[in-house]
Amino acid sequence: MSHVPKRLASTATKVATLSTSHLKVFPPPEAVVGRAPSSSQTERTPSFFSAETWATLQPPNPASLSAFAHRIGLAKTFSNPAEVIQQACTHPSFVPFHAKHNPDQPAVTANGNLTTLGNSLLGLFATEHVNSTYPHLPTRVMKAAVSAYVGASSCASIAKDMGVGHLLRWNRTPNTPTRPAVLHADAMSSVPRALTALIYQHQSLAAARTFAHKFFLSREINLRNMIKFRDPKLALQETVAKFGRERPVSRLLRETGRLSNSPIFVVGIYTGGDQLGEGFGSSLRMAEYRAAEDALLRLYLTRQPSHLVQLPTSTFGDARGDIFSATTSPSPYTPVEMQDTEILYGSADKSGTRNPGARSTGTLPEDEVD
Amino acid sequence: MRPLLRAHLTSRPANGHVSFIPQIRKLVFEYCDKWPSSANTRTYIKKHLEDLARTNPHVEIVVRQRNFKEPIIRGFYLNNREKVVPLNGFEVTGVQQKVQLVLDSSGAKIKPLKRRTVESTTEAARGIWSGLHVQETFKI
Repeated sequence: MSHVPKRLASTATKVATLSTSHLKVFPPPEAVVGRAPSSSQTERTPSFFSAETWATLQPPNPASLSAFAHRIGLAKTFSNPAEVIQQACTHPSFVPFHAKHNPDQPAVTANGNLTTLGNSLLGLFATEHVNSTYPHLPTRVMKAAVSAYVGASSCASIAKDMGVGHLLRWNRTPNTPTRPAVLHADAMSSVPRALTALIYQHQSLAAARTFAHKFFLSREINLRNMIKFRDPKLALQETVAKFGRERPVSRLLRETGRLSNSPIFVVGIYTGGDQLGEGFGSSLRMAEYRAAEDALLRLYLTRQPSHLVQLPTSTFGDARGDIFSATTSPSPYTPVEMQDTEILYGSADKSGTRNPGARSTGTLPEDEVD
Repeated sequence: MRPLLRAHLTSRPANGHVSFIPQIRKLVFEYCDKWPSSANTRTYIKKHLEDLARTNPHVEIVVRQRNFKEPIIRGFYLNNREKVVPLNGFEVTGVQQKVQLVLDSSGAKIKPLKRRTVESTTEAARGIWSGLHVQETFKI
C-alpha cells in the first residue's frame, strides 16, 4: 500500500495551487455559502462554485512572473517583463475559456503567433548548429537531432525545468474533427518558443540565438542512438568509393576462445594500410559488422571543435531590431566547403545516374568508352 | 532496423553546463508576533530580509504571520518539493545560515552518499582497459 501516499502526493502536485497574496478579495464571495451577494431576489438561483475554474481564471502573481524572468536571465531584456511573460505563458486555448467566464473583460493576448515565430527561429538555430558541428551527419539523423533539441517534448521539458509550472494559463480541450487535442505538454511546449520569439522582437536575432544556445542546445542528446544501419558493410563500401579510396578489407586482429562458448574476435576494417574502424564480437561476422559500423560512426560523428564552429546567422550582426531593418557590419563568415552527400545504400536515383563524389578517382564500368 | 519515433526524440537537461537555473522559486517566512522564540526571526525580517530579496531577485519572498507557533522558513522548489526548516534557537547569524541553506538547496531528497558509485552520462575519459588491446594478450 506504499503506492497510495505516493500517488496522493503526485496528484496533489499536479492540482493547481494558487497563491492568494496578490488577490484583492479572498475567499471569493461566490464560494462562501450563506454570504449571498447583496440582491433582494425572492427566488434564489442555485449557485455552483468550481474552485478549479476559479483558480484558473485568476491573474498570475506579478511577483512570480518577475521571479521567473530573473530566474532565466530575462529581467533586463524586456521593459515590462511581467506583462510580456504573462503573454508568453498564455496558450490560445485559454482565450475562449476566459471569454466565456469573463465576457465583460477585454480579451487576453495569447502566445499563438509568438509560438509559430519562435518555432521557426529555434528550427533555424538548431539546424545551423547541428550542421556546422557535425558536417558529415546523414540528413535523416540531422533532422532527428534537430527534433531532439527543439522538438515538442524537449520544449515541454525545458518549460518544466525553467519553472513555468503554475504560470501557464491554458485550458484542456478534447480532440475535435477540425483541431487536435490540447494537452498539458502541448501548452507547456509553447512557452519557450514564445520566449524565443519575444527576445527576437525586443532585442535581436543574435540575442535569440544566445537564448537558444543557452537553454536548448546545451542539453544532451544521444546522437549515436539515432544513427541506425541496415547494412553497414555495404554502406561503408559505397562511402569509401565516394571518397576515392581503396576497397575496404576486414582483417582479424585478435581472437580468444574460438571453440569455447564465449569466443571474442576483434576485427579491423582497412582501406589499404589505414584502419577505418574496429569491432569486437562473439562471431567473426558480428565483429566485422561492428567494425563497419564503427568506421561509419567515426565519419558521421566527426565533430567540429566549438571554437571553430561558424554559424550562418552570424552574418546578420548583433544590432537591435529584426533582420530586415538592422544595419551593421556583420561578423566575418567563411562558408564551409560542402561535404559529399551521403550515399543512399548504393541506389541510383530516378535519373539512373550515380554520383561518384568529388574525390573519387575510379570510373564506373558504364562510363568507360571502348 | 528500428525506426526513429518522433515522440522519443528528446534531450536531457544539463543545468549548469552552459546556463544555471536556480532551483528555488519561493521562500516563505512564518513567524509569531508574540512569543520570544520568534524574536530573532523578527529581527532578521526587519533588518536583513530586504537586502536578501534584492540580492536574490529570482526568489519570490513571502512573509506570513503564524501566531503561537515556532518560526519556520519554507522553501518551494522547481521539482515540486518543499523544504521546511525551523528557526527557533538560532541567533540572527544562525537564521542567516539557515536561509542560505534553503536558498542553495536543489529541493531534492537527501541521499546517503556512503555507497554511491560515480554515475556519468559521458564515457570514461581514459577508456576502459581491454586485455586484447595490449602488447601481450592478457591471460587469466
